[in-house]
Amino acid sequence: MIHFRNVSKFYPTRNGRTYIFKDINFKLPMARSIGVLGPNGAGKSTLVRMIGGADTPSRGHIDSDLRISWPLGLQGGLQGSMSGRENVRFVARINGISNTSIIEQEVANFADIGRYYDEPIRTYSNGMRSRVAFGLSLAFDFDVLLIDEVTSVGDATFRKKSQQALQRIRETTHVIMVSHEMKQLQEFCEAGIVIKNQNFVFHSCIKNAIQDYQETYVKL
Amino acid sequence: MSNFVARRTPVQVMRDTVSALLARELKSRFGSKKLGYFWALAEPGLQASVIAVIFTILGRNSLSGVPVALFILLGVLPFRGFTKISTQLSTAIKSNKALFSYRQVSPIDPFITRLIIEAATYLIIYTLLMIILFWSGFQVIPEKPMELILINLLMLAMASGYGLVLANMVIFYEDTPRIISLIHQPLFFVSGIFFVITMIPSHYWEYLTWNPLLHFTELSRDAMFFNYQTPVGDWFYISIITIGVWGTGLALYWVNRHRFLAA
Repeated sequence: MIHFRNVSKFYPTRNGRTYIFKDINFKLPMARSIGVLGPNGAGKSTLVRMIGGADTPSRGHIDSDLRISWPLGLQGGLQGSMSGRENVRFVARINGISNTSIIEQEVANFADIGRYYDEPIRTYSNGMRSRVAFGLSLAFDFDVLLIDEVTSVGDATFRKKSQQALQRIRETTHVIMVSHEMKQLQEFCEAGIVIKNQNFVFHSCIKNAIQDYQETYVKL
Repeated sequence: MSNFVARRTPVQVMRDTVSALLARELKSRFGSKKLGYFWALAEPGLQASVIAVIFTILGRNSLSGVPVALFILLGVLPFRGFTKISTQLSTAIKSNKALFSYRQVSPIDPFITRLIIEAATYLIIYTLLMIILFWSGFQVIPEKPMELILINLLMLAMASGYGLVLANMVIFYEDTPRIISLIHQPLFFVSGIFFVITMIPSHYWEYLTWNPLLHFTELSRDAMFFNYQTPVGDWFYISIITIGVWGTGLALYWVNRHRFLAA
């Protein structure tokens, strides 16, 4: 369970504060995987970043007893000047693992990017970056995996691999996933939240969430 | 393939994070510039020797009865230490921004990491240069060793507090380090690197003594040499400034703590 206590998030703009979220009080159940829906700029990434501790609410607190991963996104997380291996070593160390060689090998096997593993991240393609980032997050036994569009850039092999991996850890690990692809959300998530009115609505069935999202935002 | 993520206390998390950052930063310094550590040692040494040679050519090989090289080095070292450490610290937080997406890494961690590296480098260089001078036949045993150690620790404390203030300014104005180095340059001439205050007419003292860096050079020489006693070096003044910059730095850090995280 992830507990939102009076959470507000705003950004200062020329016309005063722009609120993304205002006074959210909610206990988000984490018994199943959750898809996050909303149009561009609604705050999907901000929400995931706040849950992952990469960003802080402007007011209020987000508490949880669960082990939550960092947000796996396209930007951030991996440091461009370091190689994939060095990034893995760094993350293992900040998680308190002193013998990092096992984890380095595990991620190398999953990412399967050959000699690029020892080249700086900045030379990677988006897909290769995602392979390392995803492999790295799978190497830890997180209760909650935060995925921000990271699986959508991969090729067919990577998609299949990540899908299998998520199926395998399904019993113990749930995801909170941001994606614009409804098919992907239906594949990975059982529940969903729709961001609207500076707040979010929780649906325990992803189908209802998608329906709500389409009724609210998709006007053709 | 799950590796168990142990539950740790906040202090343990910080210790693990800082040691991971240490390994990372040391490696990137060794990797990019192989001669980096050589220059750290050679630069202040060369600077002191150049000035010493000029003085010798001018016909002075002792100032206040002290050999020029040692005299200059005791001014160059704390001055360079102060400017180098504060500029390095000013970019410590900003240049590690990408890592704040891990909840374990908070903005103060890379600052502490760089502080450890810079302080250790300074103390090692100081000691090594003294040993080299000792081998070259200089009298390098200080008159008041405890005071020499204390003045250097106080310099490190002030430089790091000032560095924290700068690290806060960097997020508002990216070019802060450039402006800072412009300010530091003229300070080289008024911080008592190639003079002691007793060589200056006393009615100028009240202006020069505003500069805290002058106090570091004055008190260093006072602690080192038997035949120099500083009339102006003020422990109280630089202690107050140290407390002041740390107070300001911590207050700014608290106010800006969200801003450091924002991309």
